[in-house]
Amino acid sequence: MRWWKKVALKKSPWVFHVNAGACNNCDIEIVDCITPRFDVERFGVKLVGSPRHADALLVTGVVTEQVTPRLQEVYRQTAKPCVVFAIGACACDRGIFTPGYHVAGPVDKVIREIDPNAIIAYVPGCPPKPEAIISGIVKALKAL
Amino acid sequence: MTYEQLKEKINSISDKLIKVEQTSPKRLYLLCESENAYKVNRFVFEDLKARFVVATGIDSDNCYEIIYHFSYDQLGTFLNVKAFIRDRNNPHIESITPFIPGAEWTEREIHDILGVEFKNHPNMKKLILADNWPDGKHPIKKDYEYKKLK
Amino acid sequence: MGAVSAEKSKGVWMNALTQNLIEFFVYGFVLTAITGLIASWIVRKVSALVQYRVGPPVMQPFTDVLKLLGKEQLIPEQANRFIFSLAPLVALSSVILLSTMLWRIALHKSTYFAGDVIVILYLLVMPSLALILGASASASPHASIGSAREIKLLISYELPLLIAFVIVLVKATGKLEQTQLLSLAAISGLKPIMSISGFLAFLAAILCIQAKLGLTPFDMAEAETELAGGVLIEYSGPLLAIWKLAQAMMLIAMPLFVVELFCGGFSPSIYAGIVKYVIVLVLLILIKNTNPRMRIDQAMKFFWYYCSPVLVIAMVLALIGNYFNLGWL
Repeated sequence: MRWWKKVALKKSPWVFHVNAGACNNCDIEIVDCITPRFDVERFGVKLVGSPRHADALLVTGVVTEQVTPRLQEVYRQTAKPCVVFAIGACACDRGIFTPGYHVAGPVDKVIREIDPNAIIAYVPGCPPKPEAIISGIVKALKAL
Repeated sequence: MTYEQLKEKINSISDKLIKVEQTSPKRLYLLCESENAYKVNRFVFEDLKARFVVATGIDSDNCYEIIYHFSYDQLGTFLNVKAFIRDRNNPHIESITPFIPGAEWTEREIHDILGVEFKNHPNMKKLILADNWPDGKHPIKKDYEYKKLK
Repeated sequence: MGAVSAEKSKGVWMNALTQNLIEFFVYGFVLTAITGLIASWIVRKVSALVQYRVGPPVMQPFTDVLKLLGKEQLIPEQANRFIFSLAPLVALSSVILLSTMLWRIALHKSTYFAGDVIVILYLLVMPSLALILGASASASPHASIGSAREIKLLISYELPLLIAFVIVLVKATGKLEQTQLLSLAAISGLKPIMSISGFLAFLAAILCIQAKLGLTPFDMAEAETELAGGVLIEYSGPLLAIWKLAQAMMLIAMPLFVVELFCGGFSPSIYAGIVKYVIVLVLLILIKNTNPRMRIDQAMKFFWYYCSPVLVIAMVLALIGNYFNLGWL
């Protein structure tokens, strides 16, 4: 990537939230990040309504069989370059739902099916605190 | 209405029930066979005027059980109608959706994950299993093979 | 003799052409883009302060546009590629033209021709039309709902804006000559806001500008949570950067138009003009932050049933004031 693209991407990551079969705990913590107490807008993070505008996908939840093709379609519609954040223990490696009959796999297995070079960052926790999510975003952007 | 009056009323269909038990102060179980379950449910819903809450499907070792939970609001008690399905190879029971429309999705879910067939159900389609799930495999059955923990 | 004068007039024409092109580029594009992005930062910062949090840093809108320029461009398969790509360019070019004229009137106080205010009123509508076209060409149900809402909003707020403009004309009839009546530079010498009817027209114009800019309570076309991005749902990459730039530049052009029409433009000095512009902008931001989003039928009822009758009363007051020579009416 050219240097100015990289700098601009680090300074203003726009975020789209995808719930791939989560229990909603991680979603509540993600929305908490936008509240005045944690305020991620000072880093330029904005919650957008369409994956085409987004630079980072925040995927929560263990990915079920039903949602797999839809998550892959959302990933394909995100304008590259983009980062996928797997938020929560279920998204990182299925958590307590590992032997479940409806589980298709953790987020990285589902996304690497269609794009082996995807950039994926993991934020574990059940649910991860907003401070953990913010620190995860900042570390992933620094390593970009 | 007290419990004695309630039990007197239940006595009117006691020919269809196996037994009536009160396992705890606010729970009444009416046990019956699957053939009589439709009439018992109709009695509880229309004559006793109880409110349908949800239905549960259980895979016991030698039979299936479907428990219909009704809430009797005047006394604050639960009336559970427990229907035994003795035929394990071809479990079927009559659907209560014709007179309780709210039971439609409950019975679709029990059919999806337990495999019990509901006769006269108006709209039997997959509800909670994925679209590409193979037919005939029902996850909550005791002989379903789960994936091994890696 | 004839050859010499023909060459001289051609030289004069070339000079005027290069001067106009430089004006376009410097005033219309560069100055408006920079001040527009700073104005959009002011909007975000003031909103953040009102909500008791720290907002983004100053360079944030600039990095937003830069980042969008570097992303991949995705066009939906069933969309009409030509109109899809043309719509943001139409919006940007009309805003550049509009702001060139407004800046020149503000800073140099010279007119283009009598009647240029009609051209400005036409150009004010172009970004909304481009938004409607681009959204309709997107082949997405969300975008088509957003575009339908934008059309309904357009037919609601255009009439009050024009009535407000006619009220300013009525108040200006006594003080300006007949030929200068339709030139914005002459109108911006007067201060219609100092009269009752002018003040009512100013309030109505502020609300119409709020609807035109797509700020709450009239942002139902680009409703984020409701419509998943609304009109701009299928845009990405450089075309979205052009939309964001055009929207930021409209944040400069529209309040500047209101200032020149009602408050007397940049009249005593540039600093007074900037103060007037900032006051109008902060008024827009405060209305934005204290109101929830309206439904489209509520917005239409507001503009047709409440705004227009008030403006008709203001027009009657202005005509009475003109007849009896009462300046304060």
